[in-house]
Amino acid sequence: MSRSVLLVAERSGDHLARPSREAAGLARRLADGGTVHGLLLGGDLDGPAAELARCGVDSVLRAEDPELLPLRALPWATVVREAAARPAAGVILLADTIFGREVAGALAALWDASVATGAIEVRPAEGDRIVVRRPVLGGRAFQELLLDGPRILLTVRPGAFPAPEPAATAAPVAPFPVAPIPAPLRAGRSAGFTGDPAPAAGPDLGSARIVVSGGRGLRSAGEFRLIEDLARELGAAVGASRAVTDAGWRPASDQVGQTGRRVTPELYVAVGISGAIQHLAGMIGSRVIVAINSDPGAPIFKSADYGIVGDLFAIVPAITAELRRERGA
Amino acid sequence: MPDFSLSPDLESLQDLARKFARTEMMPRAAECDRRGIFPEEIYRKAFDLGLMNLNVPAEYGGSGLGAFQQCLIVEELGYGCAGMTTSIIANCLALEPILLGGTEAQKREVLEPFCRSYHLASFGLTEPGGGSDAGSLATRARRDGEGYVLSGEKCFITNAPHASLFTVFATLDPELRHKGISAFYVPREAEGVVPGKDEEKMGHRASSTGTVRFEQVRVPAAHRLGAEGEGFPLAMRTLDMTRTPIGALATGIAQCALDHAARYSRERHSFGKPIGEHQAIQMKLAMMTSQVRAARLLTWQAATLIDAGKNATLESSVAKCFASDAAMRVSDEAIQIFGGYGYMKDYPVEKLLRDAKLTQIYEGSNEIQRIVIARELLRRYAP
Amino acid sequence: MEIQVLVKPAPETEGRIAPTADGSRLDPAGIKWVLAGYDESAVEQALLLRERSPGTIVHALSWGPAPRSEEILRAGLALGCDRATWVEAPPGFEPTGIDAARALAAVLADRPAELVLLGQQSGDSEDGLQPLALAALLGRPGFGAVSRLTWDAAGRQFSFLRSLDHGAEEWTVPAPVVVGLRQADQDPRTAKLPMILKSRKMPVDRVASATVAAALDGHPGSPPLRFSLPAPRSGAKLIEYASPEEAAQKLLKRLREEAKVLP
Ligand SMILES: Cc1cc2nc3c(=O)[nH]c(=O)nc-3n(C[C@H](O)[C@H](O)[C@H](O)COP(=O)(O)OP(=O)(O)OC[C@H]3O[C@@H](n4cnc5c(N)ncnc54)[C@H](O)[C@@H]3O)c2cc1C
Ligand SMILES: Cc1cc2nc3c(=O)[nH]c(=O)nc-3n(C[C@H](O)[C@H](O)[C@H](O)COP(=O)(O)OP(=O)(O)OC[C@H]3O[C@@H](n4cnc5c(N)ncnc54)[C@H](O)[C@@H]3O)c2cc1C
Repeated sequence: MSRSVLLVAERSGDHLARPSREAAGLARRLADGGTVHGLLLGGDLDGPAAELARCGVDSVLRAEDPELLPLRALPWATVVREAAARPAAGVILLADTIFGREVAGALAALWDASVATGAIEVRPAEGDRIVVRRPVLGGRAFQELLLDGPRILLTVRPGAFPAPEPAATAAPVAPFPVAPIPAPLRAGRSAGFTGDPAPAAGPDLGSARIVVSGGRGLRSAGEFRLIEDLARELGAAVGASRAVTDAGWRPASDQVGQTGRRVTPELYVAVGISGAIQHLAGMIGSRVIVAINSDPGAPIFKSADYGIVGDLFAIVPAITAELRRERGA
Repeated sequence: MPDFSLSPDLESLQDLARKFARTEMMPRAAECDRRGIFPEEIYRKAFDLGLMNLNVPAEYGGSGLGAFQQCLIVEELGYGCAGMTTSIIANCLALEPILLGGTEAQKREVLEPFCRSYHLASFGLTEPGGGSDAGSLATRARRDGEGYVLSGEKCFITNAPHASLFTVFATLDPELRHKGISAFYVPREAEGVVPGKDEEKMGHRASSTGTVRFEQVRVPAAHRLGAEGEGFPLAMRTLDMTRTPIGALATGIAQCALDHAARYSRERHSFGKPIGEHQAIQMKLAMMTSQVRAARLLTWQAATLIDAGKNATLESSVAKCFASDAAMRVSDEAIQIFGGYGYMKDYPVEKLLRDAKLTQIYEGSNEIQRIVIARELLRRYAP
Repeated sequence: MEIQVLVKPAPETEGRIAPTADGSRLDPAGIKWVLAGYDESAVEQALLLRERSPGTIVHALSWGPAPRSEEILRAGLALGCDRATWVEAPPGFEPTGIDAARALAAVLADRPAELVLLGQQSGDSEDGLQPLALAALLGRPGFGAVSRLTWDAAGRQFSFLRSLDHGAEEWTVPAPVVVGLRQADQDPRTAKLPMILKSRKMPVDRVASATVAAALDGHPGSPPLRFSLPAPRSGAKLIEYASPEEAAQKLLKRLREEAKVLP
């Protein structure tokens, strides 16, 4: 059944933010023959608007107002609600960025919707209903929710959906007039960016979302730098097998396993680790496990989700380089 | 508590101790055990959270807990590290004679300043010449003007090298045996108090145990607890109060061993399946579970009687004796389930066995407990 | 200053996690409910603000079923909150983030707190809607993902750092405001034993479910269909490649698109 979808897009500098591009791809699919309108808010929107126009939307609306420039969820949500009324949208879609979730929170109340955040899978169900799958409890479980009714609000996790290739033709771009925003909602001012808030030291092994661990395959303390570099690119904590901590390449506190730390990150990358039972006991609860090992018969591959059989000294630097390239560094 | 479940009030105390054991004690337990470290920072934190002077009423600055509440806390701490627990609860043992035998003025004078900030106290009963036979102790108290002069040596005294206050049992006349014994409290800074070195122990290595010598130590009469000659019953009444928590400590060790063994039984494979699927291992786990549960319920029963103000001599001896034996059996079987790994210091279970052993020896050896149990029992069958 | 700090019981994640028999949700049996994650930080920051502005009242508020909501409020009292209010949920009602915002907004509407403080997302459902939904319902400015929250008593305004995906901004906002906290200025404290004993005897005010029923009526929901655990592993999917670069690209693509663990 076709739906009318309103995509609320975010910018990243002079571009359309990648998570919003991914959401646009999903919007088209959910519309199922219906219309998709893309809405941009803020000012100086030429760059993002031109890109959004080629993301498979039927039209791009530009809501430009100085009050929408600072990222405040309530003024945004007020404008989004108006945009969703003309013409009436059945679904509002946002990327699950930090700010996207704030806007969704305000909209959930103002637009009175059936709502889900952080979707990693979305599938249409009977009628115009939608089923959403999302991770909960720190990735330890998944939940499926049924979204139903004339107003459905959804945020989708960045990276969970493919971004569409740019379309050959651009959709029309039109201004969206912004009504005055009530004073209490636009209270507050920003002194601007303070830069990256990520702490300089890596996250703690016990609570990290991603852990990269190295084993005896690294051959020496010096080569462990490869693990550290990859961990830094991923924002991960560094772990090690006992072969490594025994050799003194890393402190004993980094040992993962039965006699070390037990970790349950969302992603565990085991590099040059054979997968002894004592090691597995410490990381088997991780949501996704990647193994990189030159020995196709290494037991670690039995307990991993993804494997690369190969020389870690070639593979690991290539992954680090790829991540750097993506980051534009 | 007819259904043996804990009220939310009790659970909140248990939660506090559990969290402290898991986040503060367990991460340091192996290292302190291996290197014999006395982790004073952890003891200070225990004090800050109110986990130290559990039995001292709130009006004197303690936590004012009953026996049942104490047992819940001590079991959780014992799960985290038995050695640290022995040092944390040593104050309860050392201060109990003051609570039981002290006058109101003495309690105010000693307990209030003591409990206001972090301090350790030691209970001085055992001597090189005798532990179980406390009636024959040799430390002398001589009357001297307004007070007394103490001379003699105590051994195996928990926290002695770090204590600022001692409760000491000494005799005015060895000929009188039990009836000659009096109890005193002596501050560490009194002249002639000489703590000895820290002993090297098999287990409880995060605790500190040492001798303390009293070399002509002058003690004012105001520091005597109870009347002259009332020291021995005071020591026994003290141990009546602290025996049950030792049962709880042992239960904590046993529960910890069981948890490790059960988890390992699902992780380790042999002959194509997790070892927990071999019936021989299941029999062990079933026995261990029964032991742990019985130990816990026996300590709960003794503690409940104590809180109700009833006589619990038999029950507290049964609880201490059973729970400490259970801790030995369960930690022994846990090592067996771990196989060769269990024998390695890298794994936590061999420490549990070494720690469990002490609970059969101190605060009245299990032989002495059985003598008490039999005596209480036979009394009930008097013709 | 008055701070209303909102707390929610969440399952302790070290414990057993399993679906109910019908698979629709997390099985509540055997779950230990704790004050978790961001909520713990919110309480900590409220107490720090009170230490810096003496006279401040910290009022803990929770919406949910008995007994776990009342227990979580006592945990807040044990940490040092001055007062506690339990907004009763109808029995059997599993609260969702947006329902909670509606119920709590109904109670907060006539409480003149300068600050409504809560965790940026809950420890279990992690939907993260509450801070801004509350702000919208109360008509007060709201921000999520906040850290370094300070109160300038003279100027009657709050300053804070606010995280966004691409960096952080400094903000100054006049009271009253709704704040979803990302991080407190220090690790959350542990309640001390005497405070725990005292908290057991402190009153917890109760707002009957009927009082907030109107606020909850007639809104669309998002009923849970299925709750599931990650599938057991059956051996790694091996990445085929001709060059290390290709291996890297393929791995990252699959981690994003298939496993969904990377942004
Ligand atoms: C009492 C006890 C407790 C223990 N506790 C723990 C514990 O807590 N944690 C723990 O980790 N271990 C523990 N162990 C040790 C465990 O049994 C293993 O010995 C250990 O995990 C092996 O570490 P490893 O995988 O790094 O080394 P290895 O088993 O030597 O494996 C090295 C791997 O690197 C691969 N490799 C080599 N060169 C390359 C290359 N160029 N590119 C890619 N791959 C390469 C090899 O194919 C091999 O699979 C314990 C052992 C005992 C006896
Ligand atoms: C780590 C540690 C900490 C301690 N902390 C303290 C403390 O803080 N304060 C303190 O005062 N003491 C403390 N003790 C001492 C402890 O209470 C004694 O070791 C215990 O009471 C046993 O005394 P003993 O060692 O002299 O053994 P003994 O009395 O010499 O007994 C030797 C053996 O004979 C058995 N036995 C003795 N009499 C009989 C009998 N009548 N019938 C049958 N069997 C009998 C005993 O059970 C034991 O098996 C501590 C001991 C240790 C090891």
